[in-house]
Amino acid sequence: MPGKIRKRSPLKRPERPYIALGLEGSANKFGAGIIRHDPDGAMTVLSNVRHTYITPPGEGFLPRDTAQHHREWSLTVINDALKKANVSLHEVDCICFTKGPGMGAPLASVALVARTLSLLYNKPLVGVNHCVGHIEMGRQITGAHNPVVLYVSGGNTQVIAYSQQRYRIFGETLDIAVGNCLDRFARVINLSNDPSPGYNIEQEAKKGTRLLPLPYTIKGMDVSMSGILSSTEAYTTDKRFRPNGPRDAEDTDIFTPQDLCFSLQETVYAMLVEITERAMAHIGSKEVLIVGGVGCNERLQEMMGVMAGERGGQVFATDERFCIDNGIMIAQAGLLSYRMGNQTPLAKSTCTQRFRTDEVHVAWRA
Amino acid sequence: IRIPFASERHAAIAKQVIEVDKELQPQDVKRDLSVDGGTLIATFSTLTVRLSRLTVNAFLENVDLVVRTIGEFGENAENGAAS
Repeated sequence: MPGKIRKRSPLKRPERPYIALGLEGSANKFGAGIIRHDPDGAMTVLSNVRHTYITPPGEGFLPRDTAQHHREWSLTVINDALKKANVSLHEVDCICFTKGPGMGAPLASVALVARTLSLLYNKPLVGVNHCVGHIEMGRQITGAHNPVVLYVSGGNTQVIAYSQQRYRIFGETLDIAVGNCLDRFARVINLSNDPSPGYNIEQEAKKGTRLLPLPYTIKGMDVSMSGILSSTEAYTTDKRFRPNGPRDAEDTDIFTPQDLCFSLQETVYAMLVEITERAMAHIGSKEVLIVGGVGCNERLQEMMGVMAGERGGQVFATDERFCIDNGIMIAQAGLLSYRMGNQTPLAKSTCTQRFRTDEVHVAWRA
Repeated sequence: IRIPFASERHAAIAKQVIEVDKELQPQDVKRDLSVDGGTLIATFSTLTVRLSRLTVNAFLENVDLVVRTIGEFGENAENGAAS
């Protein structure tokens, strides 16, 4: 049960302002963010700049090209973030970077920049878990007290709840992330990847009218996405599929890409709502926090809202500045960790593609 | 491979930054990094020419990134905390 006993937070108010630079690059977005923690307890976003590597329609992003994108853009984005925040690197207390999880080459490129800055300016490094970054930024922006967290993105799908200084994973995907499922289907129907494939699927789904049956694959507290992806893709080879709408007025037993987007969204989002509800029921929570790129989706937020409302609870979500991978969330989680005395020595500042959310000791919470 | 830097300090920074990551195939690629004055010296030994090409290519991409980062921020870093 969420504690009715008020535990004292181990994180004390700082005696002076603290500033952190956060660098994120685990997927196709490079982000740099600067955050300040003040003695009055305020936590302020000074800047949050991001550049996304967008591939042509029908193509996904590969590690080598993504790393190259980050190498090309990191210095510009960092400079932009410093200028917008009106902060110099001399003033920051620590340089935070994504240690993992994510794609190897892009992560490593960002780590190289972080290490170089750390040595040039003699600032400590703080390696941050990408998932914890999303959670901490979500908590900070929305003010949710102790929510069940649904973390859904292109790379991750987890239901998380906090307990005893760890973010425990209650349920997750058994194979691919929901965002990955959506992105890959977007490629099959050749949707644009600008601004993101998921956004375009959402817009197309709004025009869909026919709900096609798709497998509803919940396994206990977990979900499986790859079968749904295969089934949705299989529909595009069905003789009733019309990529360009009905041929004529008599062409009625048909379905369009919009119908497939609609069916896919409704099915996977219903599954996510269900596993979230299970976790909520299990721990007696009334709050849901949705983080991660897929959390931008308004239909998901709407469906979650219906479920939460039925339980007398509420949904917390952030906008695309904080939902989609960004540098400020790394700065936030990193600075919280740093203020509790944690830093990453240079020799340990490697990156890792697999980094479980519950591996992190959440020292800053009771 | 010998890469000149503006100062011994910069060469040392590059060495420290790059040596953190192990080679992707440590059993097939031997790497040695050292600094001589303002020069970074990298020595690679591989069994095949192909592996040499891949290793050196990746190394140069990394060095390029570090060099550009130092180029962008090095002067500001040395000038100290001037608001």
